[in-house]
Amino acid sequence: MEFMGIGFALLGAALAVFLSGFGSAIGLAAAAKAATGVLSEKPERYGTLMLLVVLPSTQGIYGFVVGLFVMIKLNMFAGAPIAITWYQGLQILAACLPIAFAGWISGIQQGRTGAAGILMSAKRPEMAFKAGVVYAAMIELYAILGFLVSLLILLMGIPLQAPGVAA
Amino acid sequence: MQLDKMDLGIHDFFTYPPVGEDDYAYMFQTAQVRSMETQMLTRTALLDMANASDFTSAAGSLSGTEYTLPSGAGAAELETMLRQRRSAVRRLFEDLMLDERIVEIFRNRNDYANLRLVLRRVLTDKPVGADYSAEGNAPPELLAQAFEEQNYAILPEHVQAAIDQATLAYYQNKSVRQIDFAIDRAEAAYGLERARTVDGNVFLVNLFRIQVDLTNLRTMLRVKSLGADPRDALLEGGFVEMDRLRQGFDLPYEALGALFFATPYHHIVESGAGYLAANGSFLVVEQQCDDYLLGYLRQTMQIASGPQPVIAFFLAKEHEIRTVRLILTAKKNQLDTKLILDRIA
Repeated sequence: MEFMGIGFALLGAALAVFLSGFGSAIGLAAAAKAATGVLSEKPERYGTLMLLVVLPSTQGIYGFVVGLFVMIKLNMFAGAPIAITWYQGLQILAACLPIAFAGWISGIQQGRTGAAGILMSAKRPEMAFKAGVVYAAMIELYAILGFLVSLLILLMGIPLQAPGVAA
Repeated sequence: MQLDKMDLGIHDFFTYPPVGEDDYAYMFQTAQVRSMETQMLTRTALLDMANASDFTSAAGSLSGTEYTLPSGAGAAELETMLRQRRSAVRRLFEDLMLDERIVEIFRNRNDYANLRLVLRRVLTDKPVGADYSAEGNAPPELLAQAFEEQNYAILPEHVQAAIDQATLAYYQNKSVRQIDFAIDRAEAAYGLERARTVDGNVFLVNLFRIQVDLTNLRTMLRVKSLGADPRDALLEGGFVEMDRLRQGFDLPYEALGALFFATPYHHIVESGAGYLAANGSFLVVEQQCDDYLLGYLRQTMQIASGPQPVIAFFLAKEHEIRTVRLILTAKKNQLDTKLILDRIA
């Protein structure tokens, strides 16, 4: 049963990294395609559009950080993972879900919003920051909330016993 | 849901029918056309051209744009430049459009234009010639060969069907106008049929239905004005019911506004028929039809990405080229500025 606990925990880490990375990749692709379309006609807008393109990349980073914390919590870098029960594994899996899903959906939607902002800035460059970046950044809030909840549950909500330490 | 949006009635929308959904595969293409839209001629630039004192100053106002003409250029240079611009726009459209079926649908317009020309020549016993557009789906050599050898089987099926319909229509009363009506009907029907095969492209179907309506409105007013035979002149497949259009043939100009009051074309009919009755001219009808179509194309601003903005840009650009030709040709022929302004207002 102890392998099941580790399995659930690692599944959580994998989902956090994979889903949020997936969302970021799709969001980045949408924003980057829109930016290259505008830049093909107006290369002088590179600096303005850069921020709108990179905004959706943060979700993947949040997922990666949560995945890293799961591995640290399991003591994987020390070479001897902690033996955890199956329900502790499930708890870790559940802790990873907020950033996994929030990162996945918000990454895609932020990329699309960023792309729409890029399209708007093709005609109204003065609105690129005021509307484009601000609207896209509002979506970021929900990725941050998911990230915080995942992190807080992992760090404070699931007490695990380190190897050799009495309960 | 998609099917419902493609089969809307005239009362199912207020001013313009829906333009469809986003398609994020077209993000790059949409961004590129949105950038290029900023380089299109503004309304002010067109009005400046129309208000210019003569052809030279009208052409001069285009310097610095893609329509720049060399000094001393005449009608031939103007036509060459505009043809080059039109070919460039069509090439760009074909490069940007990811769905080859949409490209084919728009190339069909040239097939039917070629067909109209060759049928007029053949049925009135003139030489077939070779001056056909190479921008259609059927190569011009193939078209000329088919008519010279009278072997129509080498042409696409829909072209063969259009030839049959146009030939039959012509021999009913040996009127060249019947060839145009028959080709228009075949073109509209085939365009709508093909548009429905493009996955869920509500925009394309609604665009063609609007074009059918606008053609029918123009036809109704022309037939009334000329006192011609309205039989077979109307196209099927638009939003406006055929009964309403047929009723329009029998009503006086001043009653047409009320007949079309419940349709989005009310303003076109009312102002167009009023101008026609007062001046005997179709300028305002044409201008209002253009405005309505461009208004529908502008609705594509509502969506972030998709083939719709690319198609809209392509059609708006073609319209811009036609407007430049119209103004400069009118200036070359010293037409009254008010007439030009009435047409482009």
